[in-house]
Amino acid sequence: MLTAKLREALICFRAGRVTLPYPFAPHDPAPGFRGKITLDPDRCFGCGGCANVCPAGVIQVRDAGQLLRVLEFQWRRCTYCGRCEEVCPEQAITMSQQFETATDRGDDMVMRLEVFMGPCQRCGRCYTPPTPLDRMDRTGFRTSDGGRS
Amino acid sequence: MANVQGVAAQVNEAVAGRIGAGLRVASQGPPDTLRLVVAPEKLRSATEELLRLRARFLITVGIDTRPLTADYRVLYLFSLDAEHLFVVLECAADPDDPHVDSITSLVPGANWAERECRDAVGVTPDGHPDPRRLLLADDWPEGLFPLRRDFPYDYRPPAAGGVAPVPKQPPEGASVLPIGPFFPVLEEPSYWRLFVEGETVVGCDYRGFYNHRGIEKLGESVLTYNEIPYLAERICGICGFIHSTAYCQAVEKAAGIEVPRRARYIRSIMLELERVHSHLLWLGIAGHILGFDTVLMQTWRMREPVMWLAEEISGNRKTYGMNTIGGLRRDLPAAVVPKVLKVVDEVERESVAVRDAIVGDTTLLARTKNVGVLTGEWARQVCVVGPPARASGVPIDARLDHPYAAYDEVPPRLCTQQAGDTWSRLLVRVEELLDSIRQVREGLARLPDGEVLVEVVDEIPRDRIGISVVEAPRGEAVHFVMTGGDNRPYRWRVRAPTYPNLQAMPAMIDHAAIADFPITLGSLDPCFSCTERVEAIDVRTRTRRVYSHKELLAMSRDLTRRGGRR
Repeated sequence: MLTAKLREALICFRAGRVTLPYPFAPHDPAPGFRGKITLDPDRCFGCGGCANVCPAGVIQVRDAGQLLRVLEFQWRRCTYCGRCEEVCPEQAITMSQQFETATDRGDDMVMRLEVFMGPCQRCGRCYTPPTPLDRMDRTGFRTSDGGRS
Repeated sequence: MANVQGVAAQVNEAVAGRIGAGLRVASQGPPDTLRLVVAPEKLRSATEELLRLRARFLITVGIDTRPLTADYRVLYLFSLDAEHLFVVLECAADPDDPHVDSITSLVPGANWAERECRDAVGVTPDGHPDPRRLLLADDWPEGLFPLRRDFPYDYRPPAAGGVAPVPKQPPEGASVLPIGPFFPVLEEPSYWRLFVEGETVVGCDYRGFYNHRGIEKLGESVLTYNEIPYLAERICGICGFIHSTAYCQAVEKAAGIEVPRRARYIRSIMLELERVHSHLLWLGIAGHILGFDTVLMQTWRMREPVMWLAEEISGNRKTYGMNTIGGLRRDLPAAVVPKVLKVVDEVERESVAVRDAIVGDTTLLARTKNVGVLTGEWARQVCVVGPPARASGVPIDARLDHPYAAYDEVPPRLCTQQAGDTWSRLLVRVEELLDSIRQVREGLARLPDGEVLVEVVDEIPRDRIGISVVEAPRGEAVHFVMTGGDNRPYRWRVRAPTYPNLQAMPAMIDHAAIADFPITLGSLDPCFSCTERVEAIDVRTRTRRVYSHKELLAMSRDLTRRGGRR
């Protein structure tokens, strides 16, 4: 009995202090960690592949008229699986290392991405122009810093 | 595999010999699965025949197949462990008034499964010894069956007040001691009513399923094949990889997809890493239940590097998101291998130190030896799985009986004990922990090169079945998939290991002391709630007041509304 207790005490002494000073010192996640999604609006051409594979239904795609496709990310529902990042053909979505996402405002958890599209000559619905240059030619095009061409 | 074919033929013959024309169709989908469609009136005879062949009951799957066959189907899943074969007994139930014969009198372990099938699909088991509600909430309306095809997944029945579970009558002269639905040492809600005579437990009653989330319904009606793994891994906060692997394997089996060897090895390694951290977690909780918090602190400290390792390999410490149909989404980077070896070396050294320290601890021995004894015979009867079964001398292990992932090349050692008490279950788990570390090392040493994902080009064919079992730290998890047409399963059935294990509780605490109840339950490693009323004593005036269920509810809601401010 006594030897068992001594052994247990020894294990505790050897361990020393193990708690981390977080949040007073930063604690970076391991490389490859899947944190909050980040969007690169210049790369997205509005294919909607991400919305198609998202298991939690975070991403909603709708067309506002003939020229604008809106992608809304309700990422409070995000499960950080990274499927959107995986399927995005233009690497417009990447998983960041950011994990400190707590907030008391619901609006903080919504991201809106407006993608300039071209209207189809036949049906009039939004579609992706053949090249990025083509879409810059369209009336109403805006660059990501808000400028108009 | 030829051997399995031979056994399948023998089983087929034996069942045909027993029930004759009652056996309508026999077919083999995946090579290790024999599907026997039997006449409803011959179900019990067919079950008897399978039990004679030492088949072990897994679960029942109720399926609303009205759009396909114009009736309901109930599938009884059995496993012939030594012969590596699954046997499915399928029987039809009338579409207007679905009934089947209950097999609970033959297989006590089928008790919950049949009640669940009645609650969810509405197929009543005739002659069931305890036909009370199991799965659905007490205020759920009668006659609404959520797993029927025509039931919308997002339907919310109106809430009803003044409902309570139907209690079992205590034996004459016994008092009732309620434990739960929320009980400090058990992390999840589960409601036990212990029937006690003095300090001795003479019986018990259980009401659970407070955490029922309708995951199966969501899988069959909203998600697609490739989205379900992320839901499956959220079934359990500890065995995430186990459930996603089991689901993917079931679909792969049904569709005949061959997963690359490297992916199978990595699955094995991840499953064993999960066992390492789960067993350490259990050891800590067992210590905590017994008031031995040194064990809790130290095992959880040892466990943490394994969690960090998982984060580095998969991108998250628990919800790995690695599994997908056809293999894995992430490869194991070569740079991580030395880190894995270093962490498992450290965990091994420290686990041995903890084991050597606690085996001589007489207090621990006094609290666990001969406590919560489960006999091998009863363990077989209620179909207990995992460490509780092996600690009672039942030599079953899904990794050996139905090899999956890379367990055919890196097999585990079967760790058994005979006594069936809490101490034996502790020993089995410690031994398995060390064996898992060996398997991780061996798996990494033999890790083949190549792809980790095979592209699934063809559409997954309809109406195929796949059964997959995975040995979770708590026991064997069973996933059943019947493929459907619109890129999602027609039926997805999950049976977690605690499901059969909890059913062994009444026997384990029979004539035990009340103080031994928490550790006995804890020794099953269960994945557990509500005072119907509380008696409050005003300390100043010493007057007594009894609050009703309604008053308590109103008080709690009021407190919540005020944001917790009293």
